[in-house]
Parts: sequence; C-alpha cells; structure tokens
Amino acid sequence: MLLSEQDQFLSYNGEVLVFQLSKPQQAEEADDKTTDLYVRRVVFNRHTKLFVQKSSGVFSMHASHSKIEMICCSCTTDSRTGIILPCILMKKKKRSNVKYFVLLLHSSNQFEPSFYFKLDYELKEDIRLFAGPSVLWRHANKLFYISSNTCVVQSAPVQLSSVVWTGEIVDEGTAVLGIRTACLPETEDADEFSVSDRAIWGSEFFGYAIQTQKMLTGTCFMPHAYSRVVSSVYICKSEKWKKQLRISLVAITHKNQLIWFQNGVPKGVCELPYEKPCSVKPAVTSSNDVLFVVSFASGNSCVVQRRDSLQVASKWQKVKCVLVDDFIGSGSEQLLLLFKDDSNTDVLSTFKITDLGEVNYASGINYKCDVPAAEGLQENSLLTVRALETRLQAGWTSVRELQQHLGLQKRVLLESCRALIDLVEERTHILPNAKEEGLVSLWDDVENPPHSLSKETSLVSKVPEHITEELWQRVVGDSLVVGVKLTESFYLSLSDVSLSLVMDQDFSSISPIIKCQSKIIKLNKAFSALAISSSQIEPPPKKMKLDLHSKNDLRKEFPKRSSSIQLDGAKTLTAVTSLSPLLAFHRVCCAVLLHARKQNHQNDSLQQSKIITVLCGKILLSLEDISNGRYSVKMLRDNSYCTGSVEDILAVLAVSVRFSFQIVSSDCTLTPVSSWLLGEMECTPFKECQDNIFCHKAGDVHGTIFNWTLKNPFEGVLTIFCRNLTVLFQCLHSLTRVLPPSCSVKLLRSGSKAVLTEQLALALEKEMLTSKNSLFLKETKAQNSFTLGNESGKKINSSPLASLLDTEEGVQQFRKKLQNEREESVRSMNQTMNGALYQKTALKIAEAQLSSDMIVWRLS
Amino acid sequence: PERGCLRAWAAHSRVLVRRWTAARCGGEARQLRRQQRDEFGELLLRIRGLPAALPALPLELTVLYNSLLFTVGACDSAIKREAEGIRQGLLRVLEACGACGQDLGTEELWQKVLQEVTVEELQAPLHRLGALQAAWWLAAGRLGSVAGLFQLLSTAEEPGRSHCSEGQNKLLSLIKAWRVAPEGTSLPLLQSAKDLKEILYTTAAFLQGLQELEAGNFPTALSLLQEAAGGFCSKKILAQIYTCLGCCAQRMGKPQTALQHLKRALQVDFQCLPALSHAAAVYHELGETDVELQALTLLYEALGKNPPAAASSSPYFLIRTELLVHTPVLASLLRHHHPSEVKYLLAQRCLQDGRVADALEHYLDFLSLLQEGLQQQVPLDGSSAVPRIPEVFLEAASALEQAGRHQDAITVCEEVISRTTDLIPRVLRVEERLEQPECSSPGAELAGGLLSQKKESLCCLAWRAAGYLHQGWAWAKLGESKEAVTQFSRCLSDLLRLQLHGSGVKPTENLPAEVEVLQKIRLLSLIGRGTQFLELGRHKEALLDFQHSLQISPGDPAAASYLVQALWKLNRKQEAAAQWQKLSQSSPGENGQQRGQGRPLPLYLVSCLQQAMFPHSEPLARSIQDYLGTAAQDTS
Repeated sequence: MLLSEQDQFLSYNGEVLVFQLSKPQQAEEADDKTTDLYVRRVVFNRHTKLFVQKSSGVFSMHASHSKIEMICCSCTTDSRTGIILPCILMKKKKRSNVKYFVLLLHSSNQFEPSFYFKLDYELKEDIRLFAGPSVLWRHANKLFYISSNTCVVQSAPVQLSSVVWTGEIVDEGTAVLGIRTACLPETEDADEFSVSDRAIWGSEFFGYAIQTQKMLTGTCFMPHAYSRVVSSVYICKSEKWKKQLRISLVAITHKNQLIWFQNGVPKGVCELPYEKPCSVKPAVTSSNDVLFVVSFASGNSCVVQRRDSLQVASKWQKVKCVLVDDFIGSGSEQLLLLFKDDSNTDVLSTFKITDLGEVNYASGINYKCDVPAAEGLQENSLLTVRALETRLQAGWTSVRELQQHLGLQKRVLLESCRALIDLVEERTHILPNAKEEGLVSLWDDVENPPHSLSKETSLVSKVPEHITEELWQRVVGDSLVVGVKLTESFYLSLSDVSLSLVMDQDFSSISPIIKCQSKIIKLNKAFSALAISSSQIEPPPKKMKLDLHSKNDLRKEFPKRSSSIQLDGAKTLTAVTSLSPLLAFHRVCCAVLLHARKQNHQNDSLQQSKIITVLCGKILLSLEDISNGRYSVKMLRDNSYCTGSVEDILAVLAVSVRFSFQIVSSDCTLTPVSSWLLGEMECTPFKECQDNIFCHKAGDVHGTIFNWTLKNPFEGVLTIFCRNLTVLFQCLHSLTRVLPPSCSVKLLRSGSKAVLTEQLALALEKEMLTSKNSLFLKETKAQNSFTLGNESGKKINSSPLASLLDTEEGVQQFRKKLQNEREESVRSMNQTMNGALYQKTALKIAEAQLSSDMIVWRLS
Repeated sequence: PERGCLRAWAAHSRVLVRRWTAARCGGEARQLRRQQRDEFGELLLRIRGLPAALPALPLELTVLYNSLLFTVGACDSAIKREAEGIRQGLLRVLEACGACGQDLGTEELWQKVLQEVTVEELQAPLHRLGALQAAWWLAAGRLGSVAGLFQLLSTAEEPGRSHCSEGQNKLLSLIKAWRVAPEGTSLPLLQSAKDLKEILYTTAAFLQGLQELEAGNFPTALSLLQEAAGGFCSKKILAQIYTCLGCCAQRMGKPQTALQHLKRALQVDFQCLPALSHAAAVYHELGETDVELQALTLLYEALGKNPPAAASSSPYFLIRTELLVHTPVLASLLRHHHPSEVKYLLAQRCLQDGRVADALEHYLDFLSLLQEGLQQQVPLDGSSAVPRIPEVFLEAASALEQAGRHQDAITVCEEVISRTTDLIPRVLRVEERLEQPECSSPGAELAGGLLSQKKESLCCLAWRAAGYLHQGWAWAKLGESKEAVTQFSRCLSDLLRLQLHGSGVKPTENLPAEVEVLQKIRLLSLIGRGTQFLELGRHKEALLDFQHSLQISPGDPAAASYLVQALWKLNRKQEAAAQWQKLSQSSPGENGQQRGQGRPLPLYLVSCLQQAMFPHSEPLARSIQDYLGTAAQDTS
C-alpha cells in the first residue's frame, strides 16, 4: 500500500503500527459514504533486515473521505484494565460542529471506539492524548480536557499561552506544564541580581494537576526565565522528597538549545544543530546511555548524548519520523528513523535502526545521514597532536643536550691531549681563558665604586657665624611642628643634631604648670635619637654618579631622614610636640634650642668633638593665631600640581608616620603603581618637590604623602607618610589590588639593605680602628708590648670581614674574637694604665660599639 | 524566595573567578585555564539560551568578557581570529533594546551600540568589552579601527571633548584619555580593565613604533618605542622593546645610544639574545673588532646553554602584550641566530681581521659542526649569515694556508673540487646583461629558471677554479713548483669552459658578479703560474702568462711588476725598463682607482690576492734604476 502524508506511525511493543485512511476511488468520489481506517502491524526481521507486515485490521466509518481526519495517535493506559494500548484521535466534520472520537486498538487488530465529543470549533493547539484515554487541548488561552470516564469537556481555571508537557507526576496524577504571562509580586529586593526571572522576562511556568485540580509551583520544573523559550519538555523523573517535588527534565528551546534541569536548576546545555526544535523524547540504549532524540520542524532530527556533558551524537536530515522501541528484540531500545522518500513509496522502505552503538541496520542507500558531529573528535585529535608535539620537542631537547654533552667531552679530551703533548714537548701548557674574556667588556661598568669615603669634602669651614637661616612653626592636627633651617656649611660640621623647645622663663617660674615643659623635653629626647641615626647615614658621594638614575639618589636618601629634610640643598630640623598642653597657656613663648656635637675633622677621634647648644630663636604661640589658621597647613590642588609652601610640606612630613616598602616584581613592569597613585589615589605632585606626591582622595587617606622611586622597571621603593596605621593599611589594601600577583612587597625598616650593610662595614671598621688605636696608645706608654699589639691588629685585619657582615651572629663572633684578643693582650702586658686614659678609651670603644649595634638592629 | 537565573549565573560566575584567582599561581594553571574556558563557555551558552534582557545584560557582558579572556589565555598563543563572541554580545545588546544589526560590520555595530544604547548600567561592561575588541584589533594590526573605537568610547562618555593634543600620537592619547569605569565588586573580573588599558597602551605604542621603524621614520619610532618601554609589560617584552630601540638608534647612526639600549635589554632579560647579536653588529659598525668578537663568543656560549624552562610565561594575566604583538618586522628584528651561524660569523670576522689562528680554530669547529649533521646544525635559508658551503670550505682553506698548513689547505680544496666535478657543464655560455629581468614576456619564468641554473653553474665553476688556485699557491708555498704549475693550469683550463658573448667593450660593467670573480681568479692563476715558471727558470712561459694577465686586467701592479721581472730575467732590459717606468708613473693613481671600483672580492680570494703581490719590488727597482743610470751615462 502506498504511503501518504497523513499516515500516522506508532511503535508498540517492538512493532510499528501504521495507520492509514482509505483513499477515495476516483469514480465514486462524491458519494462514497464510508471511509476505512486501516492499521498494519509491521515487524523488523533481523535476517532479511527488512520490515515485514505481521497483520492488519480495518475500521469503517460512515463519513465521506474528505470529512474524516486523523489528529494524533499515542499509546495510553486504558483506565478500565490498566493496559497500555495504542489509541488514535479522529476528527469528523459535520455541518454545524465537529465531532471528535477516540479509538483504542486491541491486539486482535480490533478498533474500539472509546468516547466522543462535539465542539463548535476545531482543535488546533497543543492537543494531547493521555491516560484514560483522555484528550487535552488549548483553545483561546484556556485549557480543556475530557476523559473516557467522564465523557464531559472540562476546563481548567487558568489562562495560559502554551502547554509544553502533559504526563504523570508522582502523587499528583496527570499533570500539565504550561506557560502563562507572569503575575508579578509587588515588592522586589534592592539587590542587583535578585530581580526575579518573572520580572525580567515577563512569563512563568505553572503546573496543573488534572485529577486533583490543583496548581503546582512552576519553579520545581525550571526557572521561570525559560518560559520564554521552552517549546517542549520531557520529564525524566519525578519524585517527592520531604513533601517537595523533585523533578529532572530536558527541555528544548526556540534558541536551539537542549537543556537538562534537575530540581529546577540547569545542569547541562547543548546547542542543537538545526533551527526550530519541536519535540524531544528519550531512548535507553544497550550501552546504558540515555539518548535524547530531538525532532525539528524542518524534518531534521538529532540525537543528544549525555556523557560528561551534553553532546550532539548524531544528526539526520529529511526524517519523516523517529520512533523509539526495541525493534530488533535485543532488550534495549533503538531508534527507528523513517526517511522521507519520493521515489520509493513502499511502507518502511527507507529506514535506519540504530542505537548509536553496535546496532546498526539500514535500508538501501537512499537516505541521508550526516557525519556524526565531529567537533569533539576534532578537539581530541588536536590535543593529541599537541601532546605528540610536546613529546617530540622534549625528545629533541634531550638529543641536543646529549650532543652538547658529547661536544663538551670532546673538548675536554682535546684539551687534555694538548696538555699531554705540551708536557711531552716540555712546554708550559696554557689553559684557554676565552670564557673569562668574553664576559668582560660588554659589561663595561668600568670605574670601580670608590670604597672609602672621600674625606676631603668634609674638611671645610670652621665655625660659621650664621647657623640658622629660618625658624618657623606649623600646626598639623593636634601637633605643633617647629622647624629650623640650617645653613649647609654649618650642618656638615655637625653631628647628633637635635632641637628642644624651652618655655619662656617667666611662665615656668610663676605658674604651677611647670610639668608641662618636661613633656616637651621628653619629646625632644625621642627626637634626638632619630637625629643621631639620620646624621650618620651619609652615603659616599661618588657612588651616586655610578647609578644611571643619578637623579633618584637624592630621593632615595630622603626617606631615611625623618627629622632633617633635604630641600634645595638646605637642611631643616623639625621638632614635633603635642599642641594642646601648650594651648592651655593661651599665649606661650618658647625658645628653640639646637643641640649638636661639633666635629673637628682634623683628627677623627670622637673625643675632640664638642657639644654645642645654640639658641635658634623664639616662637610665639597663641590660641588666637591658631584659630585664625595662621599656622595651619594649606595644601591646594592646582591643576596637576599640589601647591603648598615648603614649610607646610615639611610639617606634614614631620608629623606623619613613615613607612618604606620595597616592591619587586618578578615579571611585569611596575607601572601599575604610578597609575594607581595618580589615578585611584588622586595624587598630585608638589610643585616645590615633585618627587613627593600628595593624596587628594576624599576620606581617611586624604593628606597622605607618597614617594615612589623606581630603581629599575621591576623594582622600586614606595614611601608612605601617613597620619596613622589605619590609613597605612587602607593604602596597602588598595595597592595590593592593583599590583600584579607576582609582586612582592617588603617593609623596609630604614633604608635599603645594601646601604645598611655598607654602613655596618664602616661602623665595624671604625670600631676596629678605635680599639686598635687604643692599643697603640697604650704601646706608646709601654714600649715593651709592641709586638703583641701589632700581632692582634694583623689578625683582625686578616679575618674575612665580608662574610661576617651578613649575619648578626657573624658580627657577634667578630666582636667576641676582638674582645678575646684585646683581653689577652691586656693580660699579657700585665701593666697598669693611666685611669683617665682608660676612661677615655673605654668611652670611645663603647660609643663605637653602640653605633654598630644600632645598625645591626636595624638590619635584622 | 525563588531562585532566579540571574542570581544563579552571578553566583556561578563568582565561583569560577574565585577558583581562578585562588589557583592561578599553581603549577596546573594551563590545565585550569582550559577547564575554565570551557566552563565560562557553558555559562555563556546558558545565558544566551534565553532572550536578551536588559537587567541580565551587564552580567552577560561580564561573563562574555571573562570568557573571552580565557579563550585567549587558554591557548597561550597569539590572537588570530576575529572575536565572534564580541559581535554576538553586541547583537544581544541590540536585541534587548529592540534594535537589529545582523548585517552590519563589527565597526559599524560598535558605532550603533555605543551611540544608541544609553542604558547607564551597560556602559561599564560595554567599555570593558570595547577594550577587548581593541586588543583583538591590535593583534590584527587594525590600528585605525582601534582609534575609531576609542574615539567612540571617549565621546560616549564626554561628548564634545577633543583629546588629541598636538605632537602627540593620536591613538596613544586616545587610549590614555579613555576613562576606565570602576570595577564593581559584585561581578569580579579575571583581569581588570585598568590592566587591559595599560597593556593596550604599551601594545599600541610598540606596534606603532615598529611600523614607523619599518617605514624608516626613526625619530618617531624612537619616541614611540620609548613610550612603550615606559609602559606596563613583562620582562620579555621590555627586553624586546629595548632591542628594537637599539636597532632604531643604530639605524639613526647613534651607535652608542644603540649599545645603551641593547645593554638594557640584556639587563632586563638575558634570554633576549637577539640584543646580543645586534650589539655585535653595532660593534662591527664601530670597527671595534675585539669587543665584537667577545660579544659573538658570548652569544655562542649563551646559545649553547639551554634557556631556563619557560618560567617567564606569566600565568597571572590572560591577555598580555606578547599575545598582541606579532609582526614580521619584530620577528625579523628578533631573529634567533643558530649557534653554527654565530660560529661562522666568528670565523669570518677573525679571518677578515687577520686573526688567522682564531679564524682557523673557528672554521675547524664550524666544519666539524657540519660533519655532525648539516641539516640540523646550519640553517641555510636566505636570511642566514652562513654563505654557501663550498665558500666556507674555501675560506677555511684560505685560513689554513695563512696559518702555514698548506697540506691541509690542499686537502680541503680537493674536497671542493671533487664535489663540484659533475656540476659544471663542458661549455658555459654567458651573455651580457644576464641579470636583466624580463617579467613581461610569457617565457620569463622559464628563462628565470634557466638563469638561476646558469648562475649556479657559474658559482660552481668559480668554487672549483678557486680550489685549484688555492692548491696552486699551496704547492708553491711548499716549494713544489711543478705541482703548483699543474694546479694553476687546471684552474685555467677549467676557466676556459666559460664563454663570454656580447659587445665586450667594457666587460666588467654589465657582467654578473660571478663572472667578475672568475676573471679575478684567472688573473691570479696566471700570475701564480707565471711566478712558478720563473722559479723553474722557464722565463718565456712566465712572460706569456704575465702578458696574458695584463690583458685581463690592464695595469694590474702585480702582473706588471712580474712582467718587468720576467723581461729582466730574459735580459730584455730595455723593455723591462720601459715597462717599469710606465708602471711607476701610473701606479699610484690607477691603483687606487682600481681598488675603489667594483664589487668586493669574496673573502676566500683575499689571501690569494695577497700572495700574488710582487715581493721583490725594492731590489728590482734598484737594479732597473742602476741600469737606467748606466744607460743614461751611455747615451750621454
């Protein structure tokens, strides 16, 4: 029998059922009053690899051929017996209305009319056959259904735009999954991602249980967002867990995707190869794979496989229908693809049975089968090629290594031979030294750094009359800053410089608030300690020239001096004190005293320097002035600069806490730091000293001063002058987000390690010289001990100084050694000593030791 | 509360980013990158599975941004294809706004999106995406498109503001003026747009610098490259930029600056060996042979060592300048020399400089490298510094000869001679204007093939003849005059295979270089044979040879001197004196003229030229002077 477009196919127990309506005879077309419905049972013969007809049946209806139509067919449960039977929905047009009836097909090929209903409109949308048998459809955005039990058309109390699924759900019976326009809850959260799907996409899912006539929540199927795109759904599993529905399903969408949901959460997604997918059904094949068969409106089909992820396993074009059943009787399901075929019209002549595994039967060659989606395969082969390439390269490298090794061996042998020949011929053998030569001259850093300080420069003036250039005061926050600008020539001849503020005599003698002064003094003490350290860090002047970035060296030195700041070659000494106690006097006058140790450079011994105290001037402090903001610091933003007087800057720096960080990047250049400073931190450089930049960013960090010095593109020192530690941490937090992760940030206690070690070397040298001098001093007094003293001096000189410098233990060891030797020499001499001389010597040694100790502390 | 897709996607995205930031420093970064790329791809697929909606678009664009970063970062090779993902993202934006732009080009699409979409929330993600697009276009060398895009990005932000100030590079100032939108905390990025901007800036400067360098605008190139060197980049790239700066300075005629830059390149990354070879070239230019040789030696040693296992490939940034800059100019500037090539250069430079012992050692090393396996050891493409292998052999022979190892020189030459035996046709006809290109004619290609074949034959002939020539001189040095004469004769008879056709008025003008070399060989060979005939006392034959050589090269001082000597020995004193007077009058000016013109001789002929110099000019001059004196007395 010939096939036509209206034929319906159904698989049932491994058989294929073909439903056909009888063709009208040409002659009596007009007045033929009966139409026959034929059914043919066809089975697959594994030996002939063909479908053969097993049996057939027929059902006659009293209606002309043009009025009768098959709507759809399906296998549904007969509610009377619980047996699943093939059933078919038929339509018969009448004059005023349309009659629909459902036929059940029994195994004897007998058709049984189950029920019928009449409507005054035609069924068009979302018609489903389900258990009962029952029929469900949508008309005018309403849901109607009828079953064999009731035989009455009922409607559900919902408005809907489409039905995507009908079927059984555990505990709920037959249910419908539909899509409708969203009804929005009024309140929405403020959080940017908590906007509900319904609010965004404007439609939602709803479930409706037909027997119980109750609504199910749509979210246990899928997120509402998908209601805009889903066209068909297959529910794989539904279960109740803690009274909650748990459903896993696959859905196909207008966006040409197949999505697998579990408990309403998308678990996998796969892009479909064709447009407009219309249905999806599962197949369980022999390899225990779950396949999803997707049919498209264009007549194409594809199969999606679930392995690690969802993947298109195969695809076909020109497919009439896809049936899933155990056609070959193997115990698992296969796909039967029936292809559209114009030439061969015999039933089931062009087909393909496959489970995408071992089972593969095909008829003829007249169907089109696309090559399985090869993307995954391609990627695999690509990866394999890459792996092979890598192995090849590794092999190649090892071969080269071997070759190099052989070459080396050869060279060694050759060299030995030459040496042997030279030996025999009694020539002196000269080893080739080309390697050392080759390394030299490209790196012509030529001049060696001068190792010792050149003392000539410091051998300058005597006591200058004019020592201070300027005296100023500033109020920063709760602090008073007093600054003294020193003339340079004077500064160079001083060491251990410090300032102290002394209240005017009148006040202190009269008022009982004398204790206040002591506070100032106490502050000064702490200050002088810093001053000591600062005055000793004086780098060798010539070394600066060696560096390519000679300009930077001034900056580098800058952070090390907290109390004296180099600006335009002048030195300024600042003193900080708490302001509020002073303000209690309303008006107060302070004398500013400068203490220093004046050095005599003709002779290097400390003994000859004398302590001097100079009155720099007096400052007057009144609440009125402060209230008027006379002494307050003014930092203004002027285009790309920050304007503020030098005193203002000095005052802020003096008040701030200083931290230096060494930032080293292993791989990337450090440009993010400067872009961070100028961008995120909104810094602008000072007009007066452009190395320092002032942070204008609103908030706590405002007023912080930075100094960023690049040693080379991959290493730099960032110095932060901030009000307090909280600000520091804020800055660092912000900085770490900007820095590349490969950067390391290290806190520098004071100065860089290189400078400190150099200083340590100098200090130790001085310490050594001091003790040596003291011994020689003694020698001149006691002639007999000449040899001993000399010997000990030698020993010290010969000890490997450099190696000892690195560690604290080294230094200690060095010192212990020195001490031992000194004691030994003293003991061996066993002589009395002038008391005054001893005192001096001891003092000198103690001082020298103190200074080197301090450096060690800072270095550790 | 229901679980919205938006929230779920945001959470997923955050998890992925967090996983990456936590694990990117680990060893499995590459594996992870591939995995992350797939996961981001799937998330994007899910998002795109739903209709575009404005509230979801910022998230979608951010996921797209991250996903694209991984597609670059995962393959670890340069970006090549157009970013289809960006296009799709833009179409989704238009879809959400109810517009359509399927048929627009990507540039027009950007224009449409940036001008028409004014939704506040979309600006930051769109700008970030724009930066990625710029990266893609930079990698494709579409600088104009990049400039256009940044123009759009800037005007979208602040309409009516013109950024470009005078004298500055337009693209760079556009990039600089682009204000990066602050990064929201809710949607973390794998690489901040700020970083991207810095990378784009460096890349744009670098690329433009290279372009200008190629175009020959060196001052512009220099300033652009310096701008790039100040930008954000890795050590490797910085070294490359410095190398390019060095090359640029060198081409500007500032060798010292060039050296500074090259030194900096090596300080930054010693694996940047091209900098070292460029440094050697600069020293060569400066004539500082010692330093040049040291540099080459260093280069050879460095090439011999294995580079430390690619630790420099930083996994922290997914988009890096490395991935965006891959122009042929850069590739040629950073061409890695092969060790054997460097070895040859060392040998050649030593030989040129007269350091015979060193040259000899290097040549022998090079020859042994050849023996170990030619194909793997020596790159023989056009850009290689190594000439054709027979020439290397001849140069080695020359070095051996100068070192006094005549027997070895003979052996090496024998190798050349035996190899070329079958390669030379019996008769080699050479037309004048051999090199004239005839592109228009249909048979040009065929003619070109024939031409190159003929050239090849000429080369072989030259090598073979030079081999005999060297052998001849070597035998002469060994005192085996007869053997020497044989070799010189062989050389001359081989040279007879060459038949010159043409007007022949001025033979050296239009002839190919090979023919000129052949003429030189003939000259040297004739002189050589003549001297040996003199040694053997066969003065007449010697005289003939010298006369011949003077025909080939009129006024050649060596040939002329020998001619005088031969005449003298034949007791044709008057003629000798006349010739000598002619020679002494003409010699200084013409000599210089001859040296100056013409192409430089192949290195392997230089030693022969030296050997052909007339050695006894002083005594000969004296005896002729005496003779002239007595002759004058006689006449008076």
